[in-house]
Amino acid sequence: MTALQSPTMQVDDDPMAFYELSLEQRWGDGAPLIPPTDERVLALLASTPYAADRELGLLPPKYGTLTVELAAVNATMAGVEPEAFPFVIAALEGVLSPEWNAYALTTTTSSVHPMLIVNGPTRERFGIDFKAGCLGGAAGRGSMTIGRAVSLCLRNVGGQRPGETSRTVFGQPARFGLCFGEWEERSPWPSLAERAGFDRAQEVVSVHGGKGNFPFADVNNDDPADLAYMIAKCIAFPLNNWYLEMTGDSGQLVLVINPIWAERLARTFPDVEDLQGYVHEHAWQPIDLFRPTNQQVLIDKGRVDDKGRVYLCGRPDQLVPVVCGGLGGLHGQALTSFVQSEIQSVEARR
Amino acid sequence: MAPTYTVDRPLAGLKVGLRHEGSWRSWMWIVDEWEGYLRADGAEPVVLVAKGRVGDEGAETRTNVAAWVESIDCGISGLGTCGSCTSNSVLDAVSLEDAHKPAVVAVCDEFEKHGRNMATALGHGDLKHLVFPYPLESRPEKEIREIAAEYYPRFLDLLGVTR
Repeated sequence: MTALQSPTMQVDDDPMAFYELSLEQRWGDGAPLIPPTDERVLALLASTPYAADRELGLLPPKYGTLTVELAAVNATMAGVEPEAFPFVIAALEGVLSPEWNAYALTTTTSSVHPMLIVNGPTRERFGIDFKAGCLGGAAGRGSMTIGRAVSLCLRNVGGQRPGETSRTVFGQPARFGLCFGEWEERSPWPSLAERAGFDRAQEVVSVHGGKGNFPFADVNNDDPADLAYMIAKCIAFPLNNWYLEMTGDSGQLVLVINPIWAERLARTFPDVEDLQGYVHEHAWQPIDLFRPTNQQVLIDKGRVDDKGRVYLCGRPDQLVPVVCGGLGGLHGQALTSFVQSEIQSVEARR
Repeated sequence: MAPTYTVDRPLAGLKVGLRHEGSWRSWMWIVDEWEGYLRADGAEPVVLVAKGRVGDEGAETRTNVAAWVESIDCGISGLGTCGSCTSNSVLDAVSLEDAHKPAVVAVCDEFEKHGRNMATALGHGDLKHLVFPYPLESRPEKEIREIAAEYYPRFLDLLGVTR
């Protein structure tokens, strides 16, 4: 049996005692935690091929050394089911990738936080919600705990604390932890993981640096191209982070598409690249929309084309459709981009 | 903790780096003012516009930062007036110190503590901070250029320029 290296402490065998201690010691997120007993932590470690003392990396903002054991301790506190622990490890590997840019994302004034999107055959088994209420409220254990485990690692190992090391102005609900699945079986297009080079049999976590979820709704457009056009105009809102940048060439925005809309859109856009191309083609605002000083800023940054259009971003592949949600249709969401972060897709290894 | 460095000589003949991200107009006006002051004092300003940090842009930025560090004798990196821009300003100032060159990071006072936290996390806890009032952004251009004049001697003092 693996010998755990983390310091231990004795706490009364009472759920409230550990909860109150976590509040006093500032280990938690304000919600109750599961005490990380040796037995519980070892159960999680048994589900990963990695040794407990393996260093996954240095986690910003304070560059704490994140070991697999510390990830398991935090995942235990978050309530992660032992067999779901590989998803936590995969998500943390994504966060630690230089291209995810945790150094900036954990310290920014923005609300940005890891948003986890899961593909693969075990979504349902682990309670990773991908149907009705998947972005909140469906209450699957995987959705409620895997993202939370990542957040606790950022807080307890990385030292991310709002108002101290994190300068986030508002934060966002996803800072508790956001994890949802793609409804691959209802998607007319290859899944997010497949588009990243994985196959359907693999369990994959994609980590998006998302600023928040921006909802939109439609009942006025019957033509799929009209709907896609309006989605494009909607996501190109004038105070989008992309319009703050020198270029629109980095980062992605996740387009959360419900299965009913996906089916409609696929009649006109059978290839996902066609949809991405069409949305990108219309994701711009006329320069005249902006106030004069703002216009000059965009002109100075070279963001205005010869037809007076200010494109949201540089390429169609930066707009990333993911199919999930309930069958009521009508609604979509954009998981907006911090821009200076690239989605990382990582296989959960067993 | 990594050491800091000072110029310990007069300004004339030095190549002085001025780094901005193309975002904060206030800081770009200050850089613009200081370019003129440095030339008038016989130094050569070398301006770096540090763009994106990830993807192809990020690779280009890392190359440009390395070339900037190589090309100058000392420099200032700014502006820290948000969380990530403070972190990135510190990061590029640390690149200068890693090359054993005098470095200053420009921050607004609201972000001074954050700048020092990040410098400490990177092992450069003594990194020099030039602290501007907050908020600097959204003040009239004329006022910003007056602030540039006021803070120029403080910048030179932090670099260790002798008179």
